[in-house]
Amino acid sequence: MLRLIKIEFLKLRRRKFVWLMLLAALFMPFLALLYFKYVKETGGDPLQFYRWSAFSYTIFIILPVVLGILCTMLIYEENQYDMLKQLWIVPISKMGYFFSKFCVVLIYSICFMLITAVASVMFSVLPGYVAFDWKSVLYLLKTCLEIGIIISFAMLPILAIAASQKGYILPVCITLVYSFLSFSLMTVNMYLHPLSSMAVIVMRNGDIPGVVLTQAINVPLAFLCICIWDIAAVLLANIALGRRK
Amino acid sequence: MKKLLWAERQKIRRSNIVWIAVFATVMVAVIVLLGGQDVYDGSRNIDNAGWYMTTAQPWATFFVLPAVIALLGSYIICREEQEDTITSLRLIPVNEAKLTAAKMIVTFSFSILLYLLLFVITFSVEAILHFSDLSVAMVLGFLKAYFLDGLGIFLAISPIIAFVSRMKKGYWLAMLFAEIYSFAGIFMSMSNTLKTFYPFTAVFGLSGYYEATIGNRIGSIIVLLLCGCLSAFILKGLKYSEK
Repeated sequence: MLRLIKIEFLKLRRRKFVWLMLLAALFMPFLALLYFKYVKETGGDPLQFYRWSAFSYTIFIILPVVLGILCTMLIYEENQYDMLKQLWIVPISKMGYFFSKFCVVLIYSICFMLITAVASVMFSVLPGYVAFDWKSVLYLLKTCLEIGIIISFAMLPILAIAASQKGYILPVCITLVYSFLSFSLMTVNMYLHPLSSMAVIVMRNGDIPGVVLTQAINVPLAFLCICIWDIAAVLLANIALGRRK
Repeated sequence: MKKLLWAERQKIRRSNIVWIAVFATVMVAVIVLLGGQDVYDGSRNIDNAGWYMTTAQPWATFFVLPAVIALLGSYIICREEQEDTITSLRLIPVNEAKLTAAKMIVTFSFSILLYLLLFVITFSVEAILHFSDLSVAMVLGFLKAYFLDGLGIFLAISPIIAFVSRMKKGYWLAMLFAEIYSFAGIFMSMSNTLKTFYPFTAVFGLSGYYEATIGNRIGSIIVLLLCGCLSAFILKGLKYSEK
């Protein structure tokens, strides 16, 4: 398995676009910088800034879309060049192949959130909006790490859909709908969608200012939601890859 | 040109991208409908006449449809090169500038059709829920707004489609750029000046979703036309690679 993951990363070295997508991690910290400069004052509260730069649209829209594109790219480009036949001949276990892709998504997601965290600290401390404080920085790093890990599990259904398709149009369109659905479901039922369940887990202590959750926080239920979707995703990937010649 | 448009129509009929775009539009409508179940001031949002047709516009525009349209546009332009059909087309011979123009016209039509589809869905739901509260003027106003949304969004994202088609790196870039570009509109709407001149919010100024003075509307129209000119300029230099 470790060898498969290593090979996946070696393949990624040739794909510049994958690395360019990491620049999207700077988008929300930069917008938060503009927002607090022209519209709102932070009042010196670093969590106010981090809520905008790392815990809002980044986890509902930007990172899910980036990970959805990554999932689709990882699977589609091998399909396109008909590499799968050669991989099956080696032989490589089909689920080993699927989970090696998942590991890439997991590591990528963690890197993305760590870049967001570093950019958030830089964009808040350097212009002087908030004073540097180890406690809040460590909290930001811990939360970003949590988000990075859980969100990759929440995106497993997209990876499974990408694995079940030969094309790329359906998975990427579903990515858009999937992330938008989570954003919208937050006010209806937070335990229906893996991404909104992830938000519940991240905000479980209620220490992010300005976030109002419409339902009571139930962390086990949020984990259960993610688990159910992931089990369904793994089954789908198993069936789809099993049928692939 | 007529033949090229006919050929594009035939090609797109065989591809399932149209159905996927329709699926995305329907899903946006369903998701906004779910969001409409929230209770505000003692009544569900969806029970207020016009709420659904009003709310679906920004949600669809800031989050989903521009990326889908950009994906569709860049897909139909890039696929000729990707599937190596451009070699056969060149043998006919086909004027490549006209071919690209035909593809942009198809994308433009789809942009308008997707917004009109969204209008049909939202209007049908509103009619089912409270037909008596809807007036003809209101419905025609929304029809005009959705039509202008479709037209404006095409103009706003056309530089992205043109740019990625020129780069030949294709669809991934188009989708990611379009998503971030449209999503940034949420923040641009916080400032009056940016609201007028940022292409995605300019569309809403033009369509009537945002209240705008005549001066602001003229500014928005100029920005959108500049986007169209920019994409025409980029596409003018587009040449499919020689093999």
